[in-house]
Amino acid sequence: MDAGFWVLQFLNALQYSMLLFLLSIGLTVIFGLLHFVNLAHGALYMMGAYLGISAAALTGSYWGAFILAPLGVTAIGALLYFTLIDRLRGAGPMNQVLVTFGLIFVFLDIARLGWGDIALGLDAPAGLSGTSNLLGVSYPTYRLFIIGLGAVVMAVLWLVLARTQIGAMIRASVENGDMAAAMGINVGRLFFAVFCVGCALAGLAGVVAAPVFSATTGMGISILIPTLIVVVIGGLGSLQGAIAGSLIVGLIETVGAAFLPSFAAVASYLLLAAILVLRPQGLIPARGT
Amino acid sequence: MFHQTPTRSIVLVFALVALALYAIYGGYFAREIVVEIAILAILAISIDVVAGFGGMVSLCHGAIMGVSAYTYGILTAKLGYPALPSAVAAIGAAAVFGTVVGWITARTTGIYFIMATLAFGQMAYTVIFKSRWLGGDDGMGGLPRFDFDWAGIAMNKSLPFALYALLLVLLCYVAAAWVMRSAFGRTLCGIHSNEPRMRAIGVSTIIHRARAMGFSGLLAGVAGIIAGQHIQYISPELLFWTVSGEALIVVILGGLGTLIGPMIGAIAFVLLKHELSGYTDHWHIVVGLVLIATVLAGGRGLYGQIEHWMTRRKARGAAQNA
Amino acid sequence: MLDVHNLSKAFGGLQVTRNVSFKLEQGERRVILGPNGAGKTTLFNLLVGELKPTAGDILVGGTSISGMSVSQRSRMGLSRSYQKNNLFEDLTVRENLTLAAAAAQGKIAWLVKDSFRDRGVKEAVEEAAELVSLTDLLDTPVKAASYGNRRQLEVGIALATRPKLLLMDEPTSGVGPSMIEGFHRLLKSLPEELTVLIIEHDMDLAFDVADRITVLNFGEVVFEGTPDETRGNPVVRDIYLGDWQQDA
Repeated sequence: MDAGFWVLQFLNALQYSMLLFLLSIGLTVIFGLLHFVNLAHGALYMMGAYLGISAAALTGSYWGAFILAPLGVTAIGALLYFTLIDRLRGAGPMNQVLVTFGLIFVFLDIARLGWGDIALGLDAPAGLSGTSNLLGVSYPTYRLFIIGLGAVVMAVLWLVLARTQIGAMIRASVENGDMAAAMGINVGRLFFAVFCVGCALAGLAGVVAAPVFSATTGMGISILIPTLIVVVIGGLGSLQGAIAGSLIVGLIETVGAAFLPSFAAVASYLLLAAILVLRPQGLIPARGT
Repeated sequence: MFHQTPTRSIVLVFALVALALYAIYGGYFAREIVVEIAILAILAISIDVVAGFGGMVSLCHGAIMGVSAYTYGILTAKLGYPALPSAVAAIGAAAVFGTVVGWITARTTGIYFIMATLAFGQMAYTVIFKSRWLGGDDGMGGLPRFDFDWAGIAMNKSLPFALYALLLVLLCYVAAAWVMRSAFGRTLCGIHSNEPRMRAIGVSTIIHRARAMGFSGLLAGVAGIIAGQHIQYISPELLFWTVSGEALIVVILGGLGTLIGPMIGAIAFVLLKHELSGYTDHWHIVVGLVLIATVLAGGRGLYGQIEHWMTRRKARGAAQNA
Repeated sequence: MLDVHNLSKAFGGLQVTRNVSFKLEQGERRVILGPNGAGKTTLFNLLVGELKPTAGDILVGGTSISGMSVSQRSRMGLSRSYQKNNLFEDLTVRENLTLAAAAAQGKIAWLVKDSFRDRGVKEAVEEAAELVSLTDLLDTPVKAASYGNRRQLEVGIALATRPKLLLMDEPTSGVGPSMIEGFHRLLKSLPEELTVLIIEHDMDLAFDVADRITVLNFGEVVFEGTPDETRGNPVVRDIYLGDWQQDA
């Protein structure tokens, strides 16, 4: 195994990590703020891919899809928020899990009705369709674009959370929702905004993933479990946790799979179980203990 | 607290007799449906034991069922042991797996418990999926049914097998109902209601929760045996987390914490699925919407709602008499 | 009976219990006094095992219970009622008491027999219900019970375990004068051999039932003595009894 192989594996891991990050950040912040577990988050990712494919066909451009798909998913998210999510906030984890599990079923069939049961591809934009040379290996440029996009989103979110007033409000609400409400933060509006951003990022992840993995009706369910693992091991509600968790799970599931295929498949579940039993607040807890 | 009310007994007998008649007169297809209902009903009852009475929403019961089915497959098809003792051992293995998962996860509650059971279930799924010896994702074939020829019962015929599956449903229901109205079930309800206080009055809640998962695992193990014997072939799909999710849906649709509700839910779910798939490919969306509506309507489920109306009417009648 | 030895507890840098030592004789009625934040409830949490001490030891009947879990201590005969009602909210009064009685009698894991129909359990339930005057309300759902009745049930659960040592955390908190009188009678009617440790704010009640009084301040025992000695002690008056002196 030469250095090129390592670089390749590492880039694959990084690219997968970035997709996981885009999904898990929404899920984790929504949990931190609303104490809501949204199993349908994977379904939103799938809708992002399908809406992206339609938007690309409509506008004739990948970039049309890149803009429109997250917006479409945000609209779906807003609809969900007002019909279900807001209503179920105090309903306990079982009801939340059940309703969002039901949503998975609903979206599954919506996708099958709208786009059929076959895998659909999406062409990467012209400028990004080739390969680039990086550290001695040639790597698909589009995948490098995903890595870069993830890094940019990470940086922007970090800046917003750490440096802006809205970020301070979000952090305060995660830390202590009642206190934040008492201090005059409009918690309801803040929740809605954060939920929408989370949905938009899930949609973005979907449309960005479509050229690499194709859109299938099963993609939402298969990405859901790794995303949940990321969120839990990082610490529910924690931004840094989502970053760390994405990188860990991304590495385990790609680099690990290349070296120890049978162990890597179990490893992330082992890690999840170990964290839940030994350190349920996660690696980087959202709240001070 | 569980009570085996007369209504529940009547509904149980009525449902089982109806299913038996359906199997007897409905032909081969009906018998397949009855077996499918039986497997799902037992799995749902076993989930109701922990989720409905103990408040432990498990997403690993599909895996527990699968552990039983695969243990049965290994012992019979791979190692050639006789069917009956193998089945007993397989159910025991499921109970042990349930107990171990229950013990490790006993310190977690709420969403953390759900996630932890998901993790252990998926671990079992992955191990079997990756195991070449167990057939990987191709699954494993050649699982025998019981041999009751000496009693003149041909288990390889569809009708005796369907009736046998129904008999096991009855046994599992009676076992679950009995245990839920025993001291064990009372303690479990107490833990569901207020776990810290249960500790304060002297209950080792961790041990008790592990035991509950073990008992529930035993029931799920019975479902695994029927599933393995039914088409005499098993695949890792049996262990996937969505199997547990679907069974949980059945519990909710029927009525959480009623034991009889999950059985009614299983009947409704399987019939609905087969009815709908005659008209449309898209039965998932119907099930999803029904589930969401059920939870939003208060989450009592089909049987739970009926029972709720009955007690309300009784209460109103009593109020008028007073 | 109970021997608390140099018990200390710190949360990070915050010392909430400092070298607390005291002894209870069997059958003794001890009242713990102290201003808010003196560490009274923390002391109870340490005694029943809901918190682990940073230092010190707790002995019951000569054996150390420091290493035991909450449930083990309960099975040793330690029972505790809470300042904030900690009930089985979705069950009836009878079911609440029965769970406690069954747990204390070890009748929790029978697979066939029903603990709710067990004679020994039923006797303990009736006895506890009688003590806390809930006999007529046994089949009331907790949700439908008044606040006062819930306070009674809170103590009733602790009594249904037939403890050797009963710890009551402000049983009269939030209830009216007539109910306080009821608790007063209850304390007087408890079996003589039962050892009782009470955190109580109602002075008349405290001075009347107590054999001895321990005063905590800033997590420390600042005084221990009979009710009469407590009344006359200037330290106690300074930190705690100012209001009471004026009332009297």
